[in-house]
Order: sequence, then structure tokens, then C-alpha cells
Amino acid sequence: MIVCVAVVGHQNNPLYIQSFTEADDALKLHHVVHCSLDVVDERVNNPKKSGPMLNETYLGLLYPTENYKVYGYLTNTKVKFILVTTDLDVKDADVRNFFRRFHAAYVDAVSNPFHVPGKKITSRTFAERVSTIVKAFGLSSAG
Amino acid sequence: MPVWNFCNFFILKESLAFIFEMAQLHEDALREYDELELCYSETVNVAGKQRDFGGVERGDDQAALLNPGNKPLTQIVQDDSFREFEFRQYLFGCQAKLLFKLNRPYEVASRGYSFIISFSKALALYESILPFCMREVWVVTACLALINATSSHYKDGLVAPDVEKEFYRLEGDLYSLCRLKFMRLAYLVGYGTHLERSPVNSASLSMLPWPKPAVWPSIPPDASSEVLAKEKMILQASPRAKHFGIQRKQLPLEPSVLLREANRRRASLSAGNMHEIFDGGMSPSNKSHAAAMSRTNSSPGNFESSIDRPMRLAEIYVAAEHALRNTISNPDLLKSLSSLEEFEQKYMELTKGAADNYHHSWWKRHGVVLDGEIAAVSFRHGNFDLAAKSYEKVCALYAGEGWHDLLAEVLPNLAECQKILNDEAGYLSSCVRLLSLGKGLFLTKERQAFQSEVVRLAHSEMKQPVPLDVSSLITFSGNAGPPVKLCDGDPGTLSVTVWSGFPDDITLDSLNLTLMATFNTDDGVKALKSSTAIVLKPGKNTITLPLPPQKPGSYVLGVLTGQIGKLKFRSHSFSKGGPADSDDFMSYEKPVKPILKVFNPRPLVDLAAAISSALLINEPQWIGIIVKPIDYSLKGAVLHIDTGPGLKIESHGIEMEGRTKPIENTVAENGSLTEKKKFELLKLENGRVVFPDWASETDSVLWIPIRAISDQLPKGSSSGDSQKRSIVDGMRTIALKLEFGVSHNQIFDRTIAVHFTDPFHVTTRVADKCNDGTLLLQVTLHSQVNAMLTIYDAWLDRQGGVVHMGKGDGRPTSGFFPLIISPTTRAGILFSVCMENMADTILNIKYGISGDRTTGAHPPVLVESAESDGTKQDLIFRSALIFQRPVLDPCLAVGFLPLPSSSLRVGQLVTMKWRIERLKNFEQDEILYEVNANTLNWMIAGLKRGHVSLSPEQGSRIVISILCVPLVAGYVHPPQLGLPNIKEASISCNPAGPHLVCVLPPALSSSFCIPA
Repeated sequence: MIVCVAVVGHQNNPLYIQSFTEADDALKLHHVVHCSLDVVDERVNNPKKSGPMLNETYLGLLYPTENYKVYGYLTNTKVKFILVTTDLDVKDADVRNFFRRFHAAYVDAVSNPFHVPGKKITSRTFAERVSTIVKAFGLSSAG
Repeated sequence: MPVWNFCNFFILKESLAFIFEMAQLHEDALREYDELELCYSETVNVAGKQRDFGGVERGDDQAALLNPGNKPLTQIVQDDSFREFEFRQYLFGCQAKLLFKLNRPYEVASRGYSFIISFSKALALYESILPFCMREVWVVTACLALINATSSHYKDGLVAPDVEKEFYRLEGDLYSLCRLKFMRLAYLVGYGTHLERSPVNSASLSMLPWPKPAVWPSIPPDASSEVLAKEKMILQASPRAKHFGIQRKQLPLEPSVLLREANRRRASLSAGNMHEIFDGGMSPSNKSHAAAMSRTNSSPGNFESSIDRPMRLAEIYVAAEHALRNTISNPDLLKSLSSLEEFEQKYMELTKGAADNYHHSWWKRHGVVLDGEIAAVSFRHGNFDLAAKSYEKVCALYAGEGWHDLLAEVLPNLAECQKILNDEAGYLSSCVRLLSLGKGLFLTKERQAFQSEVVRLAHSEMKQPVPLDVSSLITFSGNAGPPVKLCDGDPGTLSVTVWSGFPDDITLDSLNLTLMATFNTDDGVKALKSSTAIVLKPGKNTITLPLPPQKPGSYVLGVLTGQIGKLKFRSHSFSKGGPADSDDFMSYEKPVKPILKVFNPRPLVDLAAAISSALLINEPQWIGIIVKPIDYSLKGAVLHIDTGPGLKIESHGIEMEGRTKPIENTVAENGSLTEKKKFELLKLENGRVVFPDWASETDSVLWIPIRAISDQLPKGSSSGDSQKRSIVDGMRTIALKLEFGVSHNQIFDRTIAVHFTDPFHVTTRVADKCNDGTLLLQVTLHSQVNAMLTIYDAWLDRQGGVVHMGKGDGRPTSGFFPLIISPTTRAGILFSVCMENMADTILNIKYGISGDRTTGAHPPVLVESAESDGTKQDLIFRSALIFQRPVLDPCLAVGFLPLPSSSLRVGQLVTMKWRIERLKNFEQDEILYEVNANTLNWMIAGLKRGHVSLSPEQGSRIVISILCVPLVAGYVHPPQLGLPNIKEASISCNPAGPHLVCVLPPALSSSFCIPA
């Protein structure tokens, strides 16, 4: 189950963060997303280590913890997408697919002429689309 | 045929590894172990047999991953393989030993971390058969062992910097993993109330499932006193109130409520409806009220140890504690969980270890966040200084990257520290930052609390004024729409929109705003001040500030400063077009809108003379001044009139009339239009005229009565003299100074030159000279003005006496008059006079003038007192007459006689001859002559100067000759004959002027040489 998705701007500022837990504990997911930026930074600043995936937007699994997984995606404009999931067996292809759809939704959202670049994304349509994508992810991994 | 089994394979491989190791071939030995591990992981899973996992012996809870000799291998042999629990640790231990020998502690840490994670997963599979919390205890001991071993083997500077960073990161990971498991254990024994419910703890703990033993430990029979102690601890631990009375739902530290989980897992309990409430999954569906409820459940009173009754929370803690005591064999770990103090010490050690290591790695955020956890403990222990420092770091991290939600969690703690430490500046700035965080993050009540703190401090006994940056809280911008436009030098008012982020009205004791000139930085900044107190409502406020005159340019708003009590605040946010957004992050990228434009100095008004042609001198005349405002109001304008020398303002009132459109229109229907024109008589006071209001926007003409004074008598000229009178004589100037503008700050200076002239210029010519001395004098009158002149009479007289004019007074017949002279034309009058001496003769002309004052000369302004009989006032023009006397009166003629036909040569004697002839009778008969020649060119032989006698009769002649030798070849002036005693005017020369003669060089045969 995806518990949180986030869009983080190129200055590491949160642009959109949405948790999908029932409990009112979004703050801990803020923390998880924020700390995972360490890993993104490390990968971006150490191109040696990232090696073959230098030109890829998908950053893969950021965080091998016991209980949840954090995946990252870095767009060309240095906007990061972070996905936190509690599914411990996730197919890489699923995550890639998720990020691709999420990226498309993001691009549509920021193409809105009323959106101020660098500001938080407040579009309701974007939120709806994201939750659709998140739900679809859950289904495909279940099936 | 030997059957392959893993034991045999292992013996083979390990002996090989052993041999390699003996031969110091550690790499090869390591490879053997790596292969063994690979092989084992394949066989142990593929076999499909249910194997004994191991790990149930006493002491197994302590990780032996670095201690391969922990148990003899024979003890862990099972069937044809080894028990997984022991054998995997053994293998890792062997690998680690070799890696340490190879001096690769980084690799031990890296492999070790993955090993612990994967081994922990393996332990989770067998959790039901392992002792209670075996998995957590094992991870804690494994991490600590690995940290100790690697850090003792690790020496700084031996590896590449990025490997070093990675090593520290791994150490940090090991520490934080250890910390996490340790916190879980502590929670189970009831120290949960002492765990900070921070995002970092919540993130790791609430997503970590509870241990899943087959049966949850039950309470030992004789533990009632311990249960009571735990009850007490639960009751005493009140949830820590947040500062400022912030009400927040606490973050969970547990994946689900422990009470239910523990009771559910108790085998004997029929779960009943509880079972249905739980999905048992990962969903952290705990509610804080559930936690509260659990406490009320566990109230002491119905205290009966019954196995069928659900356990109370305190009982669960006691049961877990007992179970853990059985599980844990490590005395250190046991001790750490024995009391709250011991626990806190261990907790701090682990947290600090993790934070320090993360700080050495790339993962700064992890480190800083853990600093916040350390700060929380420091705060609890009253170590506020340390706590404030750490909290500041955390706040800086969150604020710097705009994570306001997280910042809102930490910032109140920092503020509290600063308040306790009496750090006023810090506390104020924290309060302001709290206020400037997004409105959704705090309730209005909380925000009001922040504001009241700010106001309380501002008005309290602060020692010195505290500067404070409120850029995020008070923002300002110019009003929407075009900027205020001002002319150079004009004051004005500036209206500024100020957004207040305060939840309540706030009183600013003073407010200053600076203006910055764009594209002109050297000019400094101008401050606008509002000294009166201003009350800012929450949200948008409009403030009007007086604007002193500014230099030309375009201005933007600079900095807003002000004071609240002793608090000096400052906001340097740039003006924004719209209302302040909730997050100001990156708002500085918005373009800055100019608020004020002061135009370059431009003409705001024009003063010009309304007339183009000359006025009459010595007569009162109207001079028109066109006042033309150029898109600028002349309301209340004052005109200072200062006449130059030779000019006087007549005492009449000044007329002012409106000027409609171009003048050409008015010419056609003058009468009807002038009626529509506005007209007003103005008074001149102290050389000042105040303009009427109607003249403030439209063009108008100011008519000033003046008189140019000239005491010179105009002089006529004779016809031969073409010399004109200088225009400057009639020039007069009027200096005008117009003060206008809002506060008479605009000044327009203009000096107007007006040309005055006599009506006529008189030229005279003697038309004929009669034998009886009577002259026929032709007087030509040139009209000098652009007006019709009518001559009524003309006569001659002499200055200071009666003139004898022969017969009559020389006046032309009266029928000749009136004579009308059109503008700039001429008229002639013939006088017949007989005068001995014509000097000092004055021509008097009585004339009238009819002209329009808008074009030039016009009838003089009527003096009010003068008899206004309605008839035209006759004017008298007087002009001195100039007569010309013949200039030349030759009485002697001097002629240069032609030279001999053979040309002159250098060195050859030649005779120069002049002939003098008497032209009229002349008394002198002795004439002095003188020959002048350039001595370089001529050598003169004979008398140069002498007297000759010339008979006095008209026509008598004499020739003067002189012998000369030319010295130089070329064209040279010949010697000249002068007559010094006779005036030049009486000599007529031929040729008239100097002339040249040609002198040839000497003949070739001559020995006479002149050096070149």
C-alpha cells in the first residue's frame, strides 16, 4: 500500500505531499520524505556511485528499511518524486510505471497557467489524479 | 559413492580457506567463505525440509556474528547441514575476521548491515518459536557488536573520502537501527511515555510491527507490586503539554494499540469482538483517544490476576519485562532496561552515536533530525542551552528547505528554550517565525498566543531595542495600478498596502518606509516616515504616507521599518502584486513593480511675450504675456514681475484674459469671441500678481501696462548714411518669476525681452540747394511699428530757441495732412528751409496711432486722470535732424609721370617724376614735399625733402623729379611723393593708391652680383 507520495522542488522544498493513511500522522511521512532527500542528494552528488543510471530519471529504491520502502524519481528540472510504500515486495516495473504516470500528472499540473512555478501545487484535479494513480498502483500490485 | 551433502562440502571448503588463511592469502580464503555462504543459502532453502532454525538456547539472543568461535560447529550440525541461526552467524564471523585482516572495516559494516537486515527477516519467520523479543534483542546486540568492531578497526584517512562518508553513513544506520529496536524494547517495558513523540520516532516505530510471539507473555504470579509500580508510572506520566498551549494530536509510537495486540495474542483469551476490530495488519489505526482510554482501563482497583481477564497495560509491561529478562542474557542491555535513568542514558548514547556518524556522512538531514531528539532529552533535563542550539539547527534545516509542517513541530520547542534562557531577540524572532508559518499549521488561538508574546515582550523592560526581521509576517506593496506620477520637485502622498500576518490588530508605534531608486543606486534611499501610531488589522491595510519631493526617477519600495514598543522591526520583502501567500518561499523571484515615478524636470508652464513687433517708446503701452500651463495646474500661482532698467510699470491694474485656442480664430469675429473670454482685472502688489482660479488650467494672457523710458532724442540720418540704429537701444527686459505647484515649490523664471522703438526713423536729404541758401529738404519717415500711423502736423524748430526759417516755418501746406502711413512703409515730407547752420534742428511730428496691442504698438494706455474726451490722443514725435557735409575738397593734384619706356633694371639709374597741379585758388605758394622710399629697394640720389614754389593761380603746375637706383629685382613699390603740409583731403592723387613697378634683374654680363 502506498502511504505517501510527494513532489519536492529543486530546492528541496515540498511542493506537494499527500499521505494515504487513515491515521492523522502525516507528519511522520513528511519526515520520511524529507530524510529520503539525503539519499537523493547523495546519488545526485556522487555520479560515480549512480553510474549506469546517470541518465535515468528513476532513482529506484532509496531506503532499504525493514518496514517500508522509499522510491525516488528525479525529473530533468530537478524536481523529485518520492513514494513511500509499506509493501515489502514491490515490482520495480510497477514503481517505474507509477512514476511515469505521476510525472505526466505533475507536468499537466504545472502547465496550468495559474500555477506559480516553485509554489506548492494546490490543484484539486492533480490531487484527484494522484489518488487515482495511487489506487491503481495498489490494484496492479495486488493482482 | 559418497553422497554430496553440505557438511562434506563445508569441511572441504573451510579447510581450503584455512590453508589460504595460513598462507596469508586472505582474499582467497574470503572467496571460499563467500562461496560457502552462497551455497548454503541455496541448499537451506531449496531442500524443502523443515529444519531446526536454532536460536533457542540461552545466550543466543546475543548476536555472535563477529564471534565465529561462539559455538563449536559440531553442536549446530543438523542432518546433513547446519542450523541456520548459528551457521549464518558463523559464516559472517569468518568473513568479518578475514575482512578485518584485509583492513576493510568499511566492507564489514556494509555487509554487516545487510546481514543484520536479512537475518532479522529470517528471525521474523521463526519468531513464534523464538523467545519473546528475541529478534529485537538480537538486532540490538548485533548492531552494537558491529559498531564496536568496525569503529575500532577503522582509521581515518585510509580510504577515499567518499568511502569514508559511506562508512560513517553505515555506522549511523547501524546506530539508528539499534536505537529503533532499543526504543521498541523500552516501550514494551513501559518507558513509552518517556519517548519523544516526534516525527522521526513515529516514522520508525509506528511502522515497525509488534513482536509476534506465539503466545504473549503472561504476568508472573507474584508481580503485583511491580504492576502497582507501573500503574503509578503510567499515572504520573502526564502527556507533556506543548508550549504556547498548542493542541496537537500526538504522533503514534506504536503500530497498533499495545493493549489490544497483547491481549489478542494471549492464547487463553477468547478474542471476541476485539478480534474483529483488528485487521492485524500494518495499518497504524491507533487513535490517541484510544491510548487515553487504555489508561483509564488500567485504573487500579479491580486488581485481580485472572488469566481470562484481558491484561491491563501495566500488566502487559510487567509481563513483557519479565519475559525480556528471560530473553536477554547480555547484562549491559538488561541493565539499560532496568530503570528509566539507565534507559535514557543508553538512548542518548545511541542517538548521539547515530547523529555524529550521520554528520560525518552525506546524510546531514538524518543527523540534524537526531540532534532534535537529543535536544528533547536535554530540554527535559533542564539543559536548555544545549537544547536551544540543537533545536536551532533543526529549525534552520526545515526552514531553509521550506518544510513548514515539520518546522511547526520543532519551532515551539526552540521558542520555549529561548524564553527560559531569556534570549529575547531569539525568542521574539521565533515567535515571529511561528506567526509567519502557514495559517493552517496553527489554530487562531495559538497564533494569538504568539502575538501576545511578541507584544508583551515589546512593551516589557527590554534593556535595549531589539531588532527583528518580520519580512515574512508584514509584507507590503504599492497599490495596484499605475505608479504614482509626480513632477520633479513636487511633494505628494503615497498609498501603500501592508499585509499583516498577525492574527489580531497590532499597533505600530511608528512606521518608516524607504524608497529605492531603480537604476540609480548611488542615490541612497529615501525614507518616508509616519510618526503616528498605526493599527494594522489582520490582512490587508492601506497606509498613506506623506511623500517629500524626490529626485527624478523611478522608485520601488525598499524596506519597511518600524517600532512596536522597544521592538525595532524590519521587513525587507519586496513589493508583490498580490496578497501575501501562505508560503513566501522563492517569492523574491517576482518582478518588482515601481511604485513612484518622478519625472525628469520638464517645462510645466511657459511664459512668452504676446507681441512680436516693437512697442512705442516713452509711451505707456500694454505688454502681453501669454501664460501657458503645460498639463499642470497653476492654481494659486503667483507671478513676480521685475522690470529692468529703463522700464516702468504704470499704475493701472493688470488685465488678464483667457486665451481661446489659436489666435487666428479670434481675428475673424473678434467681438463675439472676446465676450466669451474670461477677463479679470488684477492688482499688482509688491510686484506680485496672484492668478485667479479660472486661469489655472487654460492659457491666458496677462496685459501689463508699462512704459519704456528713454531720454535720448532720436536722431535722424541723412540719406547717404545707410547706418541703422542698433536694435539694442530699444530693448528692455522684464524678469518674470512664476511660483506655482502644490506648495509653490515650482518656480519658473523667464526674462522677456521687449523691443521698443520710436514710431519713425527719419532720414533727410537735401533735394536741392538754391543759390539763395534755401534748401529743399526732403524728410523721409520710415514707419518702425506694426501699426497705422497718422501724421497730423510736422514742423521744424531748433533746440532752445526760435528758428528762423526764412519765409514761413517750412511747414508743408496744411492740406497735405493728415498723412497716413501704413505699417513699415515710408512717407516723405518736403521742407523748404533757409538756415545758416543746420545743426540742432529738430523735426516735430504730431501723430496718432491706431494699432492692436496683440500685434505691437498701439495707442498709449489712457491715463485715468487724463481728459477722456473720446478723441484720439495726439502724440508728438521729436527727432534731431542730421545733415551731411561734403567730405572731399581737393585743391592739389599729384600725378606720377610714366617711367621711360625701357624697363627698369637693377642698378640702372632712373628718374622719377611727379607733377603737381593747383586745382583751385589756394593761399599757400610754398609747398613742402617729401619723397619716401623703401631703402632696401631703392637708392635715392638727390634732395628727398624740400620746398617748391607753386604760383597761386588755378591750373599752375610744377614737376618734381628725383634720381633713383632700384636695388632689387621684382615688383616693388616706387618711391612716393608726399606733401606733409597739406591735408590729405585736399590732395587728389593719380594713381590713387600705392602701386608697383617692375624691376628687371641686372644684365648678364654685369659683374654686379647680389647674393641669393
